[in-house]
Amino acid sequence: MTKLTKRLGPTALALCIGLVLSTQVSAADLEAGKKIAFDRSKGNCLTCHHIDGGTLPGNIGPPLIAMKSRFPDKDKLRAQIWDATAINPHSIMPPLGRHRILSEKEIDLVTDYIYSL
Amino acid sequence: MKKILTLLLSAGLVATATQAVSSPEEDLEKFRIYYEQRFPGVQLDDFGNGPYALDVNKRLQWESMEEFPPYEDYVDKGREIWETPFKNGKSFASCFGKDPSKVRVKYPHWDSKTQQVVTLEGDINKCLKENGEKPFGWKKGKIAHLGAFLGYEARGQRINVVIPDDPKALEAYEEGKHFYYAKRGQLNLACADCHVQYPGHRVRGQLLSTGLGQTTHFPVFRAKWQKAAANGDGMGTLHRRYGGCNGQVRARPFKAQSRQYRNLEFFHTYMSNGLEINAPGYRE
Amino acid sequence: MKKLLTAFSLTLLIAGCNATTAEKPTSLQAQYEVALKNAQAAVEKAAAVDGEWRDIRWKKSKKRYLPSAIKAAEAGDYKKALELLEIATFQAEAGYKQAMEQKNAGPRF
Ligand code: HEC
Ligand code: HEC
Repeated sequence: MTKLTKRLGPTALALCIGLVLSTQVSAADLEAGKKIAFDRSKGNCLTCHHIDGGTLPGNIGPPLIAMKSRFPDKDKLRAQIWDATAINPHSIMPPLGRHRILSEKEIDLVTDYIYSL
Repeated sequence: MKKILTLLLSAGLVATATQAVSSPEEDLEKFRIYYEQRFPGVQLDDFGNGPYALDVNKRLQWESMEEFPPYEDYVDKGREIWETPFKNGKSFASCFGKDPSKVRVKYPHWDSKTQQVVTLEGDINKCLKENGEKPFGWKKGKIAHLGAFLGYEARGQRINVVIPDDPKALEAYEEGKHFYYAKRGQLNLACADCHVQYPGHRVRGQLLSTGLGQTTHFPVFRAKWQKAAANGDGMGTLHRRYGGCNGQVRARPFKAQSRQYRNLEFFHTYMSNGLEINAPGYRE
Repeated sequence: MKKLLTAFSLTLLIAGCNATTAEKPTSLQAQYEVALKNAQAAVEKAAAVDGEWRDIRWKKSKKRYLPSAIKAAEAGDYKKALELLEIATFQAEAGYKQAMEQKNAGPRF
């Protein structure tokens, strides 16, 4: 028992910190992510997706709403954004990370923003 | 080791051999059936009207535009170009024949002598050079005006591209076909991704047209090109549009009249065989 | 005093810059020359299979990573040149890889 708590203690602590860190996305970061997502020369997600607050959205891909319920695992969401063709080789969605259309940092910001929708 | 290599190689060969290349006729049939099933209400010829065949509101706007079509002046300019003699006294009729309504339908075609695809624009400039005249620019201006006139004269005739039973011609067709279906550029998009998989959908505010009927109305007058031109001339050739669609996906566009684009035009126009020529067209 | 300080820090800065330009350029320049050859070879390889991307060197591109790198090097900014060459090389290699992967692309209805 004591062994277990000793072992679990640090893990739980790390988990807690991780959780706090990962859920704590600042409003400024969300705004930055939104900007990248909407920018035609950056993410340009509106070309294909409806996103609340975006003008003239396309309808090639599904509307990006209720993302937490569709992607409980944020890493999977990031993976979809980083390279949609890894999941569906014929996908029309550009491989934003794999082809370096966005930087890793920008992908993080966009993922946080999309995850908040 | 060598044995394994030959084994592997022959296996590869078998694999490519079984992936039999479909004939142009089969390709055409599948292509057309695909769109007809996807848009059951659209008449075959109407596919030549691009986005306007697919959306009622866009169609209404376009129809009011067509009451005073902005390409009309350029058709007239094209007629003038056709009728104006060269310095040597000859004219375009000496290259293309007297009847301007019989020109457009011959293009693009396979030329067995030079073993390549010949386009209308290619022959226009060839004619100029042979007569000691300065060739036109390839993508806009006079070449598009003359094309608009020849297209206008040919309205109502049907696209009829012939792919002769010549391995080189088939190779050119296959290259054009591959071009249409291969993803390219940083955005990793094929022509077919947009125009085969998602016609009728919107990218931003633009409605995607079908690959079927995409060449029948070229050269085209585009509002976007008009805005970008100091003199308001919105006319442009098919290869100008190809370059635009390549650049958009962040692939390096090929030169107008490059082998790549001529072969693409060969495949792309063949896919619209049987549709009415309705050039020049108006587009947003 | 303030003036003195700024003057002092300025000299330091200049000295620092001089130091870097005096010591490092040969190595950076050498790195650049190798990187340039690699980039050029990668771009030719991508172009040979019709896989070149828009922003590597096309005249109408606003970025033109390859010619911009050469320009930066001519102006003595090898660090920037190397960064640009890295992008050009990445894009050329990715374009080549893409063309290879798409070799058998064809109709799928
Ligand atoms: C060229 C069109 C296109 C662009 C641009 C595009 N997407 Fe997509 N996206 C799609 C399509 C189509 C799908 C459907 C799945 C597939 O085919 O890969 C999709 C799927 C998704 C999904 C999964 C949705 C779900 O519920 O399964 C997410 C998340 C997503 N896109 C986010 C983005 C973000 C973020 C951007 C901008 C950085 C973006 N997309 C840009 C076309 C696009
Ligand atoms: C990102 C999606 C996309 C891709 C990929 C794409 N296009 Fe387009 N294309 C468009 C849009 C949007 C238009 C304007 C609306 C329309 O007519 O479809 C257009 C228009 C056209 C037109 C003019 C149609 C007309 O009616 O005047 C042609 C021809 C064309 N594209 C050919 C191509 C070719 C060839 C390729 C491949 C090299 C290609 N497109 C790739 C989006 C795309």
